[in-house]
Amino acid sequence: MTINSITNRLEVGLFRQRFLVLLLFVATSVFLFFQATQIKLDASFTKNIPLNHSYMKTYLKHRENFGGANNILISVCNEGGDIFNAKFFEALKGVHDKLFFIPGVNRIQVKSLFSPSTRFVEIVEDGFAGGPVIPANFRSDAQGLAIVKSNIEKSGIVGSIVSDDYTCAMVKASLMETDPSTGEKLNTILFSEQLEKEVRNEFEKNGITVHIIGFAKMVGDVANGAKGVVTFFGVAIAITAVMVFFFCHSIRLTILPIACSLVAVIWQMGLLSTLGFGLDPMSILIPFLVFAIGVSHGVQMINSVGKLVVSGKTSLQAAQLSFRALLIPGGIALLSDTVGFLTLLSIDIGIIKELAITASLGVAMIILTNLILLPLLVSYMHISKSFGQKRVENDSPKQKDSSIWHVMATFAHKGPASIILGLTLILFLMGLYHSQDLKIGELHAGAPALHESSRYNQDTFLITDKYAISVDYMSVIIETIPDACTHHHIMDAIDNFQWRMENVEGVQSAISLASVSKIVNAGYNEGNPKWRALSRNQQTLVQSIARIPSTSGLLNNDCSVMPVILFLADHKAETIDAVIKEIKLASEDLQLDNIEFKLASGPVGVMAATNEAVAEAQLPMMLYVYGAVILLCLISFRSVRATISVVVPLFVVSTLAQWLMTVLDIGLTVSTLPVIALGVGIGVDYGIYILSTMSEKLRNGDTVGEAYLKALQERGSAVLITGVTLAIGVSTWFFSDLKFQVDMGILLTFMFLVNMLAAVIVLPALAAFLWPNKGETIK
Amino acid sequence: MMKRSIAFVLLYLTNQCVMAINTPLPSVIAPLASKSLLLDIVNIEQQKLVAVGERGHILLSLDAVNWQQMQVPVQATLTGVYFVDTMKGWAVGHDATIINTLDGGKTWHIQQFKPELEKPLLDVVFKNDMEGLAVGAYGQFFRTEDGGNTWHSEFHHEFLLPEDVEYLEELKNEDEEAYLDEQSSILPHFNRIVLDGRTLYLVGEIGLIAKSNDFGKHWQKLAEIYQGSFFDLIRTQKGNLIVVGLRGNAFRSLKNGTPWQRSATNTTALLNSLVLSDDDRIFILGNNGVVLESTDDGLTYNQHIQEDGKPLVAGVWFDNKIIAVSDVGIKAITLTLPGHN
Repeated sequence: MTINSITNRLEVGLFRQRFLVLLLFVATSVFLFFQATQIKLDASFTKNIPLNHSYMKTYLKHRENFGGANNILISVCNEGGDIFNAKFFEALKGVHDKLFFIPGVNRIQVKSLFSPSTRFVEIVEDGFAGGPVIPANFRSDAQGLAIVKSNIEKSGIVGSIVSDDYTCAMVKASLMETDPSTGEKLNTILFSEQLEKEVRNEFEKNGITVHIIGFAKMVGDVANGAKGVVTFFGVAIAITAVMVFFFCHSIRLTILPIACSLVAVIWQMGLLSTLGFGLDPMSILIPFLVFAIGVSHGVQMINSVGKLVVSGKTSLQAAQLSFRALLIPGGIALLSDTVGFLTLLSIDIGIIKELAITASLGVAMIILTNLILLPLLVSYMHISKSFGQKRVENDSPKQKDSSIWHVMATFAHKGPASIILGLTLILFLMGLYHSQDLKIGELHAGAPALHESSRYNQDTFLITDKYAISVDYMSVIIETIPDACTHHHIMDAIDNFQWRMENVEGVQSAISLASVSKIVNAGYNEGNPKWRALSRNQQTLVQSIARIPSTSGLLNNDCSVMPVILFLADHKAETIDAVIKEIKLASEDLQLDNIEFKLASGPVGVMAATNEAVAEAQLPMMLYVYGAVILLCLISFRSVRATISVVVPLFVVSTLAQWLMTVLDIGLTVSTLPVIALGVGIGVDYGIYILSTMSEKLRNGDTVGEAYLKALQERGSAVLITGVTLAIGVSTWFFSDLKFQVDMGILLTFMFLVNMLAAVIVLPALAAFLWPNKGETIK
Repeated sequence: MMKRSIAFVLLYLTNQCVMAINTPLPSVIAPLASKSLLLDIVNIEQQKLVAVGERGHILLSLDAVNWQQMQVPVQATLTGVYFVDTMKGWAVGHDATIINTLDGGKTWHIQQFKPELEKPLLDVVFKNDMEGLAVGAYGQFFRTEDGGNTWHSEFHHEFLLPEDVEYLEELKNEDEEAYLDEQSSILPHFNRIVLDGRTLYLVGEIGLIAKSNDFGKHWQKLAEIYQGSFFDLIRTQKGNLIVVGLRGNAFRSLKNGTPWQRSATNTTALLNSLVLSDDDRIFILGNNGVVLESTDDGLTYNQHIQEDGKPLVAGVWFDNKIIAVSDVGIKAITLTLPGHN
């Protein structure tokens, strides 16, 4: 009752002052449009990781010392032969020098054949001899190249700085989060563009190829791919417009919901920019979603207006009545969308939180634009008789429609209903069984955000193939006492830990200060492998470590912190799980006083933390989103039965979506986890629209069958159109350059379409049993 | 009272520490043991191969393809292994470890474990199942005459340089402790000990080649031919001697001992080990994947550099192949005789 009176007051107030209200909308739109033009594409490394996860605390704590995971690798390759020619060395030197001067690069750590720290050491009768691999007086003639070649062989850099087959050489650098000269945050996307322009374009010619990998480059490529979204947006708008036109046969009525939805998108972007947020490549899809949701609610509105006009009302009356009729179900539906998105805030990963804010803001805007602005605009519109006539004409084929509605109405009778429910149960159980195989994490090699065929992933494959390095590594950080590396028992524990991990399937190789110091110890003993052991003698042990600088990333300044770096075969979820499990076991078994084995740093350490955060967030997120939906249904319908008939189909569809993920090899990741919440939040709309009509009729004494038939006649076509519109909006993502957008597109399309089907098939079948007395009495 | 209890605690802690060092830990069976750093290998009467290496790894194989890791009571890096027959064998290594087996390598027992010496043993040899010698870094020299139940350290003055003899004499009179300390590190490393009939050869640091006709009781240094270290010595099928060492140095002596002639090897890699084939070829295994082959009894060598460049530490001839050990474990190297296919 109170809700009704509020609706009344709102209606009277808004429509009496409609000109003023419209003016307010226009002013706001102008301001927010200006703000929206200022919005920036924004990506940073820390946003992608769960900062409060214990692994990431370790990672952040030691990032200063060990550079963390933000590195860039550039492999310069000679297509037609080996590296020993003047042309190649010129290109390599060019790349090295160029990279050195790009802002954001930590210049001390630029490493290639040309860096003075790349040295060779050889053992001679009276000790060591050595020097830089490329001598100061280097000339790229036959003699000079021969010297470099023999130095490379002595230096042990084949596989890291020079490729195994001598056709490529590497330039490595680590990046700084802030530029020390300006104090500004590193602009990853700009940095990536500079790499592309000043390094790749400049030096990739005459048979020389340049391959670039690293987080910064990946983000740049993702951002580039994300720009393609503008095209998809245009396509989605066009297709949606055609759909809406087929539905209402009026150009004006087509333009209105689309324009209002665009206003919602503008407001959303404007507000984001005003609040200081940027658009992340991952949340760049949200405007689509907002647009699609806006259109789908707009369609409900013009559907209602159109029907009222045909029945003889003026456009103002029709608009007022539609506003009153749709404010509650539409408001509830949009509110549950908003709440559904807000539940994502509970996940402690910056990028998902941002997505939650972006999406819930956008949907909240739709409440204003499509439930208020749209009817106000409609009220000004002169809806021609021809429209009415068309609607009437439309009603004659609609007789067929109606016969379809009659067929569908039988779903609400117990006979067909029990068959539907039986089939649904079977599907649900199958879905439940198969969704047990749902994998958490990335299931494919390479950068998961990008397609396998993308330049970035091809470069990754080339580099991991040609060099003995892997981008899939994880560091276990050993925290211990100062000068720990001078104690045999501590180094021995690290060494034993490393060996144990090397024996785990999925670990390809490992390196630590302990393993390197053993090799150095052999070096001090004429290179005799029989001395490749940790010396019990403290002076000898110190000697074997003294030559290893902290820039090696194997120790900090007082060697109280030493990582064991594990190179993995890949970053698939199973591999990571198995390795993490063994690390935990091993660190318990090897527990000593003063030594802690801390997880984890390196790219795979980040993935492990993200996987764990995603896995932990899954259940609470589902509970919150369903809790919110149930609560809102209970409030709006004030009926447990109605709530059950809305929520059960939703849950079945969520389960089926998980099954689909296992079939399509899509893992539960930072980008697919939100899809479940989005799918549920939006999927509930259909049920709410249908049931709001149904429960009104049921309250008036209709049977379930009658109530459902009336609901179909009133809202059926709009619900179908809504489902299709939403699905179209997201299905354009199938063609995205970004793999995660494709995954999100597939899942959302599935969720939207199947939720719609469930709302018109499973919901009435459930209702048939939940309101049993009314179900069969008349039939 | 307080002080006493603190002292007691300290004493207790020190004891704990000493205990920790002196208690050997058993080796761990690991899937990758046959791919770990292995340092010596023996061929027992063409029936069985035994390889030893880091972390107390001992591996047995009957076919050089399938290797089985044995449980060993130490985790010390093992550097040398020797069998007198198919059953009785010894292995030595870091922490002055000596272990033995009586059942062909299946079970092993500790005979000596002295981590406090902080020195590795590098080779072991037995004349029969009772009399044996273990040698190692800084002139370590242990002898047993009861099959290894007891080992006694010997200091061989004959390996001292003349000026060191004087220096030690002086020190002995002045400072007993410094004398003992100096004595324990003044001798060169003994890298390899080779029994050739009744003659025993010892090679090591600073160009050391020595021979003994009474199983190591008295030694006679051979004339100095090279400043660097030697790592292996062998009598060829034709009865000549070959010695190899640092930076690609290989020498050949036609009659016992003299005169040595340098062979061209065209490599500067450290040469670790000599292997004789049963078709009169001689192989030298070295660091950086170096395999040198001689078909003329060590006069000239062909290079067969292994692509992975891994150090080849030791090897045996088995089943027409070289079975070598390296820092990535067992490696089978097939080199067919030129002219044969």
